Amino acid sequence: MARCILTVDDSSTMRQMITFTLKGANFDVVEAEDGVHALEVAKGRKLDLIITDVNMPRMDGLTLVARLRALPEFKFTPILVLTTESDQSMKMRGKEAGATGWIVKPFSPEKLMDVVNKVI
Amino acid sequence: MSSTAVPMVHGRASKYLDRSFNRQAMKILPGEFYATTEDEVIVTVLGSCVAACVMDPIAMVGGMNHFMLPVKQGDRDPDVFFAARYGAAAMEYLINNLLHLGAQRDRLVAKAFGGGNVLPGMSSDVGGQNVAFVRTFLSNEGIPLWSEDMGGPHPRKVYFFPHTGQVLVKRMERAHNNTVLNRELSYIKEFTGPSMAGEVELFS
Repeated sequence: MARCILTVDDSSTMRQMITFTLKGANFDVVEAEDGVHALEVAKGRKLDLIITDVNMPRMDGLTLVARLRALPEFKFTPILVLTTESDQSMKMRGKEAGATGWIVKPFSPEKLMDVVNKVI
Repeated sequence: MSSTAVPMVHGRASKYLDRSFNRQAMKILPGEFYATTEDEVIVTVLGSCVAACVMDPIAMVGGMNHFMLPVKQGDRDPDVFFAARYGAAAMEYLINNLLHLGAQRDRLVAKAFGGGNVLPGMSSDVGGQNVAFVRTFLSNEGIPLWSEDMGGPHPRKVYFFPHTGQVLVKRMERAHNNTVLNRELSYIKEFTGPSMAGEVELFS
């Protein structure tokens, strides 16, 4: 069974690009458009990796990371932050929230898959 | 952060007082964006680059970016999103800054300019690629395109007033605008190739 990745981004264009790259590497992909939606999608689902944006309506990506880490089923699931934010203090907030890694957009498919394969 | 790691930077040029409009003006260059809550004017000159003016009319927050999609070098790479990944990030830099300044995503509207066919010696229609991207992106994201002046043979000078959403466009004679063309050509060189991706950091 293919491993499943949840990608969370409020931009449908960005979700489309990320999904295209991941499906090309034979992963199953589920999508969510913000943190609240992501928690709904993740509920009861076995996920091998979560990739989230930071700036999103309703619930931002860093809050989402902290909320996921508080759930026993996602305590050890790798979570990558994929964002335009490159500020060091923001990265530290991501690390403290429990993120596994940080990727600054625009991503290259090769780099993204390299990181995915390292953490999954 | 290296200059090529992140494609868009917040406007670096200093502001000046524009006496014609009697307000502070911010001029942005290729690869830059600027977002503000102030009653200012944002100015740029476009050849085949495009500028999206995005605003939340209720919050009176607005901004402009100025970018060009990279031209793919050869057809071996099956990556259909090669250029669009860059454009999507360029749009996101601007939109995120607007949201930080108090804009709401569901209230955003846009106006778009540029994408002229002005670069000599380019085999593909660089401007046309930029125009198509902006239209598709805004449509995908549900951001209404209120007005546009894109394509054609002219460079353009654009003045955007973020408080009112008003835009003034001056179409320029191409013969007098080598500065615009040279700036765009050096921008293309700078932002094409494998270095065009953001940095990666794994937390231990």
